[in-house]
Amino acid sequence: MRLLLLPAVVVLAVFAAALASLFRWSLLEFIPGSLQTGGLTLANFRGVLAPQYLDAIRDTIVLSALTTALTLVCAYPVAYALARTPSRPVRSLILVLTLAPFFTGAIVRTYAWVLVLGNTVVTWPVPMLFTERGVLVGLVHFSMPTMILILAAALSHIDPVYERAAASLGASPWRVFRRVTLPLSMPGIVSGGLIVFAWTLSAFPTPELLGGGKVKMIANVVKDLGLDSFNWPGAAAFAMLALALTLALLTVVGRVTAGRAT
Amino acid sequence: MRSRVVVTLLAVLLTLPLVSPARAQNALVVSIWGGNWKDTVDKVIGKAFTAKTGIPVEYEVGGTIDRLAKARVAKGNPLVDLNFTTTHVARLYISDGLYEKLDLAKVPNSKEIAKEAFRSDFHIGSWAYVYTIAYRPDLVKEPITKWSDLWKPSLKGKIAMPDFDPSHIITIAALMEGGNEINWQKGEAKLRQLKDSVAAFFSTDAQSQDLMKTGQGPVQVMLSANAYHLLEQGIQVKIVQPADYPGIVGIDTMAVMAGSKKADAAHQFINVALSKEIQAELVKTLRVGPVSLGAAVPANLKGQPGIFSTAAEWRDRGYIMNDEARAKNLPAWREWFTANIVKK
Repeated sequence: MRLLLLPAVVVLAVFAAALASLFRWSLLEFIPGSLQTGGLTLANFRGVLAPQYLDAIRDTIVLSALTTALTLVCAYPVAYALARTPSRPVRSLILVLTLAPFFTGAIVRTYAWVLVLGNTVVTWPVPMLFTERGVLVGLVHFSMPTMILILAAALSHIDPVYERAAASLGASPWRVFRRVTLPLSMPGIVSGGLIVFAWTLSAFPTPELLGGGKVKMIANVVKDLGLDSFNWPGAAAFAMLALALTLALLTVVGRVTAGRAT
Repeated sequence: MRSRVVVTLLAVLLTLPLVSPARAQNALVVSIWGGNWKDTVDKVIGKAFTAKTGIPVEYEVGGTIDRLAKARVAKGNPLVDLNFTTTHVARLYISDGLYEKLDLAKVPNSKEIAKEAFRSDFHIGSWAYVYTIAYRPDLVKEPITKWSDLWKPSLKGKIAMPDFDPSHIITIAALMEGGNEINWQKGEAKLRQLKDSVAAFFSTDAQSQDLMKTGQGPVQVMLSANAYHLLEQGIQVKIVQPADYPGIVGIDTMAVMAGSKKADAAHQFINVALSKEIQAELVKTLRVGPVSLGAAVPANLKGQPGIFSTAAEWRDRGYIMNDEARAKNLPAWREWFTANIVKK
């Protein structure tokens, strides 16, 4: 029985070793113009507390929260239709349309948004490309398929008898949705919300391409520091800081929503 | 018995990705960027080298920093024999003892190259280009002829520039204010005035070309070879030879990895790469400037930005930054640039 745990232990050990190496790098002194590092220091952590880096953390949290909320609002009706439509062709059509973006890849999808948001196809009343608004649109689109599938799974587990009973007792459709369907679909909302929030925290290609260098999220800053400035200790320090913040945030969000999911 | 076979097969399948691809034992392994760079080097230099020496060439491709990281991990027992990278990144290799000192006696063609192409005792130029202004005349009505034109109010929201390496525009701003890349702070105030004119920043050559094609960044501080590439694709781009200050020269370089068991072959490869015929072919294919002074340059490229074919052109038509200062200052430049120009 213990032998069966071995693969999991090996995987965990690899992750732990990688994290330990990252932590060690974050404590080494950065010497500009050299790959050599100096002795142990906390200067890297002080360095990444500069305003532009903290702004990236704030922008990441705000964009992740907005993406989660907007994805939920946009995905719920689609998931509801997918779970409840009696027509098999309609269900198949919704499923195909939902899954289609998965087959194009994140980069292709994001380049398509560059064209759409950049006033070449549509003329927007406000600038969209290279703004937070444009990045938000890309992130929501990227997250929609997953949210739809999770919500549809949760909605399909709700027995329609409850909704019919509420309606037969005189509840309006809106009241049925608010008092019966929505609370019963809460496990799906929480799971989907947590997954979308967590992966948006580490989004890279969408802000990189749709942000035009002006919208930086955590992963973009790590790349900037590590790959563009050759400051590997700084990149490691920022990654550690972001990791700690992300874990703390997910713990808080998880605890807040756990009560509602049950 | 059957389960043992399954377990063994699974173990083999799982470890397959960990095994390096098999290489021909006598092959010279060259590290270079992917795409057009690798294809051209293989077609133009690699084939000629193999024809001359009988030694096959294999390639390790990747981004600048991926390859640097790999080289660092394999220090002392390199996975590659010869490395291509930009001249200032080569300084990082040198600082870590990853390059072997070049033996120029084994590279007789180095006698024919511009003195600017000798970057250090460890690395030597393979070709050159400039970062200069390129723009779409169909989207920018007023002609751009000099760097100072970028500060014109009519270009507000039209400029795109690299954020992965802002050294070019930082140096230009410093030159305009009587400084240079060493005392670059002189150009800080000047550069801040450009902030509102920038529509976007790009991190890769592909992004730069896309911004130009779609018109999202119709005026750019652009790599000359990329601009020539767009012209070939039928995009009307004007490449400026700035009248006030020259373009910023970039030099890609070659070096022999320290500890390479094929150092002699690597030197021979460099020698082939620096021959006039091969240099002329590189100019035609990559639209870059030759480092060999006698290399033939097609008439349509002669005298164009980034194409230097005489000692005088090397001296007068491009500004070459100090590699060491650039490698040392780049982190500080990026931090300042992000805080003062990129930040909203």
